[in-house]
Amino acid sequence: MVPVSIQVRQALSKLVLPVLLLMSVGIIIAGQADRPLADRARMRVADVLAPFWNLLSRTQTDSERLVHGLKEARNLSEENHRLSVENANLRRWYEVAVSLARENDALKTELHWVPEPTPAFVTGRVVADSGGIYARAVLLVAGTSSGVQTGNIALAANGLAGRVTEVGAHAARILLITDIASRLPVELESSHATAIMVGDNSPLPRLLYYSQDTRPIEGERVVTSDQAGAFPSGIPIGSVHYLHPGQPVVQPFARLDRLTMLRVFDFGQSEIEPPEAPGHVPLTRPHRALTLPFKTLLGPGQEG
Amino acid sequence: MSDPHQPRWDHNAETQLTSRQRLDRTARHLLPSVFTALVIIFFSAPVTIPGAAELLPAIVINTIFFWSVWRPSGMPSLAVFLLGLFMDLVGFTPLGVSAFILLLVHGIGNYARFGLMRLNFLLVWCLFGLVGAAAAALQWALACLFRLHLLDPAPAFFEALLCIGVYPLLSATFSWFLHILDEKDTP
Repeated sequence: MVPVSIQVRQALSKLVLPVLLLMSVGIIIAGQADRPLADRARMRVADVLAPFWNLLSRTQTDSERLVHGLKEARNLSEENHRLSVENANLRRWYEVAVSLARENDALKTELHWVPEPTPAFVTGRVVADSGGIYARAVLLVAGTSSGVQTGNIALAANGLAGRVTEVGAHAARILLITDIASRLPVELESSHATAIMVGDNSPLPRLLYYSQDTRPIEGERVVTSDQAGAFPSGIPIGSVHYLHPGQPVVQPFARLDRLTMLRVFDFGQSEIEPPEAPGHVPLTRPHRALTLPFKTLLGPGQEG
Repeated sequence: MSDPHQPRWDHNAETQLTSRQRLDRTARHLLPSVFTALVIIFFSAPVTIPGAAELLPAIVINTIFFWSVWRPSGMPSLAVFLLGLFMDLVGFTPLGVSAFILLLVHGIGNYARFGLMRLNFLLVWCLFGLVGAAAAALQWALACLFRLHLLDPAPAFFEALLCIGVYPLLSATFSWFLHILDEKDTP
């Protein structure tokens, strides 16, 4: 240390505080004048301290977990009791289910029931659609190489999601039921009345063309109908909800805004060919069907 | 205002100290600063302590005031300045504001220490309450000044109340600590 007299040292020690105060005022002004510099200094300090903070927060989460574990341990016997009661209840239901299944089997055997084919399905991951003509469509990573075909039906975890419209070798585009191009024949479950579910690019597709004496009831389940032969009947879609009086919509069970996985089912619907009925004239011929209505819309003599 | 700790030092001539004693003394002098730095690191960590943003300045002001009054050798001005700067860098106050406020608190404590030492605990607490409230108000005023619009004064009130409320607890702890240190010092 530099040898200085006691007087000088005392004078210096008295000066320290005012000098430091002035310095802090200077730092305040400098920090206000050059904010990026201050922010850089902050970031550097934060960088150095980050491991300590990490340690602290990890300790905290660990101790919270420990406390939580202890709390759970205290409730363990209670939880055990509840679970064993529930288990007994479920066992009872299991017995009921088994006996019902056996009874069902027996009845089907009595009736010489033709068993329905089990549908084959593949599951794929949904990736966002990058393009296409539809507003509400998703791309699935599963294509013809995994057996997906146009017209297959895509189901989310708990309801119908859409239909396969285009298939590539490793990807399939699925038109969601909310798209404006989607029109599905549906059935109202409690009344068995049919209707058409029309997408309008909103999350809630509308119900149209239901018969006026069996109106959809709020909360009623909506399932697919096999009217046009595109869908097997009874696949759950959603429930009826009235946005306004006289304007029923369907709240889909599937969470169509955040799809991650879809199962694509091949119900083999196209293989069911109705037998030829003698004397029955087919209504539509594949090539002339489109041209006819437009011609009839024009007046006679206006063609060409 | 001469250095009050000078007599205690002088009769231990520095040349006669062993390295162990010197280390011990250094540690003793650094202890309050290190404690404050650790408190700052702890409270600026992303741990969910209710009122951490207000509790930190309260504890730091308490610590600095206490040591400035009772043992200034443990809390030199430079350490106060560095601690304030560290607090600013770690927190979100404008750079230098905490340093300024803490230096003011330190200066007041240092200046009034001989008067304060003679008073009883409750009076010291009352006077410290004034200092703490003034510090919180000054911080609020400076923050308003730099943001150029009137901020909600509720956090400043909360901080002042915490500052006053924490004092007995910290004061008792530090006094006990000083007692232990002094006992060890005089065998």
